Amino acid sequence: MSGAATESRAAILATLRKGVAAAPFAVPAPPARPASVSVTDSVSGDAWERLAAVLAPLEVRLRMAGTRAEAAKHVADIARERHASTYTRWDTALDGLGLDEALSSLTRLAPGCCQELAQADLGLALAHGALIESGSMVLVAAPGQHRAASLLPPASVILVPRRALLPDVSYLPALLVRHSVNGKLPACLNLITGPSSTADIELVLVRGVHGPGVLDLVGLDWDD
Amino acid sequence: MEVTTRHFRQSSARACRDVNLRAVLDHTTRYFQSKRQASLETFEGRDAHFARARAARLNALSRLPELLEQLEANAIAAGTIVHWAADAAEARAIIVGIAKAASARVIVKGKSMVTEEVALNPALEETGAEVWETDLGEFIVQLAGEPPSHIIAPAVHKSRQDVVELFAEKLNLHGESIPELTLLARRALREKFLSADMGVTGANMAVAETGSVILVENEGNIRMSTTCPRVHVALMSLEKVVATMEDAADLLRVLPRSATGQRMSSYVSVLTGPRGEGETDGAREMHLVILDNGRSEVLADPVLREALACFRCGACLNVCPVYQTIGGHAYGWIYSGPIGTLLSSLLLPRSETRDLPFGCTLCGACKRTCPLSIDHPKLMLALRERTAGGGGNPIGAAHALLARHPLAYRMAVGAARAVDPRLDLLARLPGLPGLSRFVDSRRPPELKTPFTARRRKKTQKERS
Ligand code: SF4
Repeated sequence: MSGAATESRAAILATLRKGVAAAPFAVPAPPARPASVSVTDSVSGDAWERLAAVLAPLEVRLRMAGTRAEAAKHVADIARERHASTYTRWDTALDGLGLDEALSSLTRLAPGCCQELAQADLGLALAHGALIESGSMVLVAAPGQHRAASLLPPASVILVPRRALLPDVSYLPALLVRHSVNGKLPACLNLITGPSSTADIELVLVRGVHGPGVLDLVGLDWDD
Repeated sequence: MEVTTRHFRQSSARACRDVNLRAVLDHTTRYFQSKRQASLETFEGRDAHFARARAARLNALSRLPELLEQLEANAIAAGTIVHWAADAAEARAIIVGIAKAASARVIVKGKSMVTEEVALNPALEETGAEVWETDLGEFIVQLAGEPPSHIIAPAVHKSRQDVVELFAEKLNLHGESIPELTLLARRALREKFLSADMGVTGANMAVAETGSVILVENEGNIRMSTTCPRVHVALMSLEKVVATMEDAADLLRVLPRSATGQRMSSYVSVLTGPRGEGETDGAREMHLVILDNGRSEVLADPVLREALACFRCGACLNVCPVYQTIGGHAYGWIYSGPIGTLLSSLLLPRSETRDLPFGCTLCGACKRTCPLSIDHPKLMLALRERTAGGGGNPIGAAHALLARHPLAYRMAVGAARAVDPRLDLLARLPGLPGLSRFVDSRRPPELKTPFTARRRKKTQKERS
């Protein structure tokens, strides 16, 4: 920090301290946080239905898969529907689902710089959390879990394991801690709730202004 | 942008006469109100969530110095470079310095009121860099060379046809329908994202206990600005810090619902430091600039500091009869509506903002709507008092007392009118402190014959 910046820091903090001391705050204790979806609901079959209902107005379709083969088939169907010829996907997190075989007619683009990944038609990622109350998918970036996969391609697919289902955003702190490595929080955690959208011209909703215009979810409905 | 708050009276009078503007505002404010209303109707435990959000914000303000230090320590531990800026000039100098050090030629920006507050774009452009606003609404107003007119929808005052002409003139891009125009903007800005060296954003919140910056958006331009360029700079006004991630989660439950009626905005990014080892995207260098620009002084004021609790959902703008009539530009700075009046009055020199707090009907719609229960009318009155010279005006107090007792009021006005029928000498009476100030700011009603006298006269006429 430069000399001026150090001075500013000290001056700002001193003024703030003086302000708080001159007129201390009385902050009322907040009420308890109301529960939105009970935790037991979130692991029952109802949870998928609730999630699908919350996402329907956002034009997000949730397809359920009871097996790995079914999940791969859904992904292949989505790729066809979206006329995709290239894709990018998360590595280890999605290995073992047979996705590359299901998408063998497409070219897979390796994670790397944004310029290259901007050519991908389809991006595949895994949800570390699926918040039922808001329909938000929680994606944690890490090596092999690139941010661009759910951002640059015009069509995005997020696979949602059953264990990812959680009631609501109050689980955000726990998710961050769960994905810490050696006490270091992940550099990037995203909540993704529907496709990219804007209503900046005459308040008319348009999907896909900068991020994906379509988002598909595949529910992986088995215990692992 | 040029600050023109001192012309508020004239610009609001002009805006009142603009029929097209009124139609746009009517449409916009109704749109946001109906979205919000529909969302809040199904928001279980709404009042408790609102109260938790308010507590999170007030708790943060009550511990501001301590939390900012904690934020700084944890952000540094996560690899973020933290800067402190006392004012707009220092913020500009810091960010220009970062841009120069990064040899930034293309800079992409996410929507951020605070970067507008410090007039960052011209300073960055002076370095020779291209600076692009990437939120569609901000992109449109940037091309038009205008300031934003609404916190949530910066270009609501622009019609589709305006955008058609703007894109053709400035970008040589031709489209007609709104989806077409959006696609043109996507393509034009995609190129910029991919070639950008630096991304600049604001911060909806920063979390002291983790050192994280939280960004909320719908378009994905902020994710692009923080994912593709090498360097990310987040400029945060200092009151945006919250103590814990739990508090942040409580605010995230309320903010999108109150702003746009969404259960959650399309994208929320929680960024804690630059990209980790082995990651292939995300900024390699992350900077957090903590801006004061007059806010720290406000903290000592037990009434006015409540304005610092605001998290910019924009709901108070949409219900405000004054904003509904004059729109955002008439306020003369980036902040508009009830909260804008308060912020501008607190952050700009007093001489520039004398009229702003008087542009309010004190109807209380803002207070009733604000999810954080900010008492705008109370703050507005405190500002008026301050504008009138502080400490309250004894004449005003006497007037208020009389106004509560109609008989006494009539007698007092009658007596005053007896000696000064047009009440124009009152202001010049010596020896009554505050009288001229009080009378100057009011236009007494025309002298009329009392109703009873008029009735008597009419009856007599009928009889004769
Ligand atoms: S004052 Fe309240 S309603 Fe207005 S923008 Fe701020 S938080 Fe929203």
